[in-house]
Amino acid sequence: MILIFGGAYQGKLAYAKENFQIDEKDVFFCKDDLAELDTSKKVIADLEKFTYACVAAEENPVERLDGIWHLLEDKILIADDVSQGVVPMDKTARAWREANGRVLIKLGKRADQVIRVFCGLGQRVK
Amino acid sequence: MVYFISGGCKNGKSMLAQNIAKEMAESKGVPLYYVATMIPVDEEDRARIKRHIAERDGWGFKTLEEGRSPAALLNRQDVDLNGVFLVDSVTALLSNEMFPYGEPMNLNAAEKLKPVLLEFAEAVNGAVFVSDYIYSDADRFDEYTEKYRQGLAYLDKALANVADEVIEVSYGINYYYKEGCVK
Repeated sequence: MILIFGGAYQGKLAYAKENFQIDEKDVFFCKDDLAELDTSKKVIADLEKFTYACVAAEENPVERLDGIWHLLEDKILIADDVSQGVVPMDKTARAWREANGRVLIKLGKRADQVIRVFCGLGQRVK
Repeated sequence: MVYFISGGCKNGKSMLAQNIAKEMAESKGVPLYYVATMIPVDEEDRARIKRHIAERDGWGFKTLEEGRSPAALLNRQDVDLNGVFLVDSVTALLSNEMFPYGEPMNLNAAEKLKPVLLEFAEAVNGAVFVSDYIYSDADRFDEYTEKYRQGLAYLDKALANVADEVIEVSYGINYYYKEGCVK
């Protein structure tokens, strides 16, 4: 499992496409109103939207992932880091910010490779 | 030689950029310019600019005020393109272009600025660009703020791509993304 994370608009998917020979059809894009992951594709992008959907549905995204690790072993997971700004006023956004951090901690531990993308440049941190 | 420096706010980006620019200009024996990007609209702004100028006193910078298009500097008689230019900040340039004071906003400002900044970086002997990393918020912004974040990231990526060195300043530690430059 490979985890690619970084801030919004940093070029994470472009980095994945360039370095791991994938194209758009290999990517499942999470949606912020869908607390489900499609594991039929090589890449799962916008994972922060999945965590948002889980939190909005009052589910724990870490527990959801705990049930499907075996399906994620050969995946590339791409997620926004949303941990570094002002604490949001909105209750769901606050819970999301924390849940997304916990998801990234767990993914960082389990992933074989972790890459952080900064202004389009990838840095391997694991 | 082009440097691109970014990171969170108030953690030493400007000071690092000033040091790099000064060192580069001195080692090459060329003029050192500070491209002042802030367009003052009130007393508070003017006071801040005064403070910034005082802080740079003794560094040897010649200040060039250019809040809109650095391309204008390329044709000025009194500007030596063989010099080193510190542009602080890309953030302000985009803000000035996207939300100009007293003019209609331009949501395509980043697309307009990109070729200008790349041309500038290419034309001068040395350039140090400073930007701000505003991409890890958990809040959901209004459409214009989101467009601004997206636009700044677009410029950051373009400048980071052509830069000889990209430095992220984080809590007093500098991360170097490209090798081969003096650290």
